[in-house]
Amino acid sequence: MAHLTEGTLRRMVDDPDARSGADAAHLEGCPECQAQLKAVGEDARSIASLLAVPEARVDVGRAFERVVNNRKSLPALVRFPILRPSARPLTLAFVAAVAAVALVVVAFTFAGLFYNPTTVRTVPVTVADMQALSQLADYGTLTWTKEPQLQATTSAADASALAGGLKPPVVSKLPDGVSTTVTYGAMSEAVASFTFSAEKAAASAAAHGKTAPKMPAGMDGATLTITVGPAVGEIYGELKQPSGSDPSQINLPQLVVAKSVSPTARSTQVSVTDLENFILAQPGISKELKAAINAIGDPSTTLLIPVPVEYATSTQITVQGVDGVALGDNTGVGAGVVWVKDGHVYVVAGSIKRDDAITIANNLK
Amino acid sequence: MNLGARRMATAKSDDEAFEALFTAEYARVVGIANRVLADPHEAEDVAQDVFIDFHRLHSATAQYAPAWLHRAAAHASLNRLRGARRRQKREVAQAAEEGDRTLDPQKQLEVNEDRRQVRHALGRLAPRPAAALAMRASGLSYAEVAQALGVGIGQVGTLLRRAEAALRKEVTRGTSN
Repeated sequence: MAHLTEGTLRRMVDDPDARSGADAAHLEGCPECQAQLKAVGEDARSIASLLAVPEARVDVGRAFERVVNNRKSLPALVRFPILRPSARPLTLAFVAAVAAVALVVVAFTFAGLFYNPTTVRTVPVTVADMQALSQLADYGTLTWTKEPQLQATTSAADASALAGGLKPPVVSKLPDGVSTTVTYGAMSEAVASFTFSAEKAAASAAAHGKTAPKMPAGMDGATLTITVGPAVGEIYGELKQPSGSDPSQINLPQLVVAKSVSPTARSTQVSVTDLENFILAQPGISKELKAAINAIGDPSTTLLIPVPVEYATSTQITVQGVDGVALGDNTGVGAGVVWVKDGHVYVVAGSIKRDDAITIANNLK
Repeated sequence: MNLGARRMATAKSDDEAFEALFTAEYARVVGIANRVLADPHEAEDVAQDVFIDFHRLHSATAQYAPAWLHRAAAHASLNRLRGARRRQKREVAQAAEEGDRTLDPQKQLEVNEDRRQVRHALGRLAPRPAAALAMRASGLSYAEVAQALGVGIGQVGTLLRRAEAALRKEVTRGTSN
């Protein structure tokens, strides 16, 4: 039997469950592993003593009150957590995911959908591909050269002003059951730079126990400049937290209609082909995703929408005379339509039927 | 207990479920953050943010709730650790609070320096090994750490070992004898 791995030995230090079976039998008769176990155990103990802290004494009742009061003062959804640059820890994960998606998008489109910040259901992606892609965010440094300003308002004019004059699209007829209460949302143009670092890529991959594929020549230190927005949109329905406990319904507004200037991405040092090959060479990218991406005819003009396969279905449709994508079904649980026309990305989504979403999309002014 | 009473007891509203979750997990969430930040007040700030975010986006009856909270606490506090803004303040607080009176002053200085270094290094570590270490050090079981990070229980040892080996390298005094 081969020697025990350091991970196995580490667990033997302080998990009694690990000290049984074949591993334990091997340890019994292997002086080398015993010596290694001792060294691993010493490291564990010395680090534990350095991490030791005085216990925090908490008053759970008072803390609960504070949290409940704070929670009530926050409007749900309106905070646009996904793109907030001064993000708190939870939202940093989203920013990382957005950055990762941006890299993919960049590889295949210079005039396509960047991300859809109002469709709540596409965010909690737990697919292995997303995990593999999200690691790409560790392969360099993302900095905002122009931070997006986000605003929710009851005035279409205010929203338009923040979005550099972009007018919110107008829905000609709402489907039955959709509230006429409308909130306007706006995002100013934002510019982010992502600088690749071969050193960070290697360190990140190593930390995940993987080997990063070699960066193409010129990519180390290369900068991608990504421009998003401005964008405006309307959110129909009450923005209150639903009282039910069905997590799929939480924070999902009845209907969101949004319009954004098509994002762009530029790099003077990296070619699209290099970037595409590099991304597809990442460990953990599924065969299906590779095949789908390779099947795309012209990557520089093709719109790419990350759809979590376990949760959503999509079909290609025609909207306003151009190609579009419809997501979801006719159960009314959730559906969306995305298309690009005249330099703008449009999104219609909500807890409506897919056919209704398509009708709204076709009649959007 | 008759059937009606039992039904009332189990059919909790979401708010009640949240309160129960809060009561059960708050101290543990603070514990994880405190282990990283070595600052009980800031650890409570982190914990409250984590619960607010959780409640905004998830149902308290969700099975994954504790695992989600643990992971969020680890990552949120590690992110704060990385923030340069508060580094200085933390070091002062830490030096004041962690004094081990049984050591002579010179030795005490060295230990404090190691503790400072180990946290500095923790902030530079890859997120997953660092989170695994913070959670395990604060008393979560291997199974709980595995659940929070979405990895197999066999991988927890590997993550811990990676974190400890990296931190060990950073700290040369005090532990090398």
